[in-house]
Amino acid sequence: MSIERQVNLVRALLALSSIGLAFIFCTMLITLSGKNPGEALFWLFYGGFSPALIPETFVRATPLLLVSLGLSVAFSAKIWNIGAEGQLYIGGIVAATLALYISGVPSPIALPVLIVVSGIAGALWALIPAILRAIYGINEVITTLIFNYIAIYFVSYLLNGPLRDPVSLFPETTTIPDNMWLPTVVPGTRLHFGVVLAFLIMTPIMWFLLKRTALGLKLEILGSGEKTAKYAGIESVRMIIIAMLVSGFMAGMAGGVEVLGIQHKMRLEISPPTSPYGYTGIAVALLGYLNPLLIAATSFFLGGIMNGSTTMHRMVGVPVGMAGIIQALIILFILLGYFLEEKLIHRIIGGLRKVEH
Amino acid sequence: MSIDISGLIFSAISLMTPVLLAGIAELLVERSGVLNLGVEGAMLIGAFAAFMGAYYYGDLGLASFIAALSGMVFCALFAILTVSLALNQMVTGLAMNLLAIGITSYLYRASFGWYVSPIPPHIKETLKPIDLGALSEMPVVGKLIFGHLPHTYFAIILAIFGWWLISKTGIGLKIRAMGEDPQVADSLGINVNLTRYTLLLAEGAIAGLAGSLLSIGYYNMFLDNMTQGRGYVAIALVILARWNPMLLIAASFFFSMVDALQLRIQALGLTYIPPQLALMLPYLFTIIVLLALGRKVRGPAALARSYKRQR
Repeated sequence: MSIERQVNLVRALLALSSIGLAFIFCTMLITLSGKNPGEALFWLFYGGFSPALIPETFVRATPLLLVSLGLSVAFSAKIWNIGAEGQLYIGGIVAATLALYISGVPSPIALPVLIVVSGIAGALWALIPAILRAIYGINEVITTLIFNYIAIYFVSYLLNGPLRDPVSLFPETTTIPDNMWLPTVVPGTRLHFGVVLAFLIMTPIMWFLLKRTALGLKLEILGSGEKTAKYAGIESVRMIIIAMLVSGFMAGMAGGVEVLGIQHKMRLEISPPTSPYGYTGIAVALLGYLNPLLIAATSFFLGGIMNGSTTMHRMVGVPVGMAGIIQALIILFILLGYFLEEKLIHRIIGGLRKVEH
Repeated sequence: MSIDISGLIFSAISLMTPVLLAGIAELLVERSGVLNLGVEGAMLIGAFAAFMGAYYYGDLGLASFIAALSGMVFCALFAILTVSLALNQMVTGLAMNLLAIGITSYLYRASFGWYVSPIPPHIKETLKPIDLGALSEMPVVGKLIFGHLPHTYFAIILAIFGWWLISKTGIGLKIRAMGEDPQVADSLGINVNLTRYTLLLAEGAIAGLAGSLLSIGYYNMFLDNMTQGRGYVAIALVILARWNPMLLIAASFFFSMVDALQLRIQALGLTYIPPQLALMLPYLFTIIVLLALGRKVRGPAALARSYKRQR
């Protein structure tokens, strides 16, 4: 076997065993809480991956995928944008508000405009942390995190105040007219055009951007160190801002697509409280090795787990906190897998060197 | 509109306690080169553990101890993953926070059942301020600086101790050295992993105690995700304070002034300032100050970099 084959085999085995271990832990927790673990896990998988519910898993995975594709661009440059959650909210509120204003415009023109504008809104929201990092050198992790709180309070203000639907009992905008809805792709399901956009259009585009363009290479060089980037003649200030804007754009677009495709209005619960898209997307991007194709697969998997946990909660009465625990454990065990992977790969390479000598 | 300034300062001193406690602990950890986003989770775990302790044992001292211990266990897990196994500190921290939210909300419902309303479980007594008798009768300042919870004085003493430790002692020099370059520190015979473990365990205990203030100090109940990003705010204040413990006291105080003002605005029920915008103020303040003062701030060079010891 070639080294590459062996390394990939090790990776695959480790990923599977990490997920397996996470589930063993969850089984123990479910048993401790006095529920039947077999039944609970059955509903978890049924809710996430049974054929009839696969379209719903794709729907759930779509905002997750858009967010994490964008983050993979920033993370390649080691720019840690943790602000996707806020950028998603800003994209969502802009899409809903604008859709209500331009509802007279024919949908083939209006929908692309709405999607792009929600992306731009998310990008602009990422601009201040980008400038703070690129020019002042302030850690973007904290600024983007704080911007999440500002965004959510701001959107909450808008939904309780000026943009609230006057007849609704909840803080939410008026439902947008149905010519502003993203069309359904498969009749009888909620599989909307946004799913196609995320999985079949944006995933290849991002893959191409990262793996086949000069920009992708420059981002990766910046990620290996600002000094290296300087020697390579890369303007790090410009690259940092581009990386932040691209990831903000994708997160904003995720919010816009969720509003136009599923919610049809902006509400505070646009991102599930137990596993917010903006934060879960961080894990997805890293678990997918910042490779858009693997990220698409990981989004689908975690989307299934998210839907499955809801089913498990409804059918067996396992408290909703369990969803968060399962996801956290999967992330931690996969991180542990990374650690073992490095050791094993060293051993494989070391072993081959010995053979050569 | 009347806002009494001394009342505002009093609440600011009281409100700054949890962020100052968590902040000083995080500051020392960051000086050693570790970024622990899990401080948010440790506070939440502390808030939950303190409430459970107070609810079932009725003893606030014991509850505080349980909170510190749980925070410590939580950060010990973070230390194993990031120091011993050298996993990515940021992802581990974020995943640990997800775990903390999940575990606390899960256990809360497992203990009190699904329907916790209309009146959520609560405790009868909360933490009491220290009674200093005659001292608080002192004119002007008496009422402001006395009559706070013991935690407040502990937090300020800890910050001053932290400043002394970092800038005046040999241990502080070692901590700073490993924050700049752990490999060099290691080659000089400094035990990097042991020091980082010690600091992280201490941070867990202090952050747990900081969290306990929320559930058994300011409130008498536990709410899902009740820390509301205060741990992240503490990390931001560490940056604002340029990793200097004395400046951290000032940063926490000014942040809490805005927070106190915000609460006052809400209490006054001023209709022209919506509550959501009031809630936004402290976060906005942090960003504005970062924009105004943040030029050329440089943290420890090795911050958030995984360090694997060469054998």
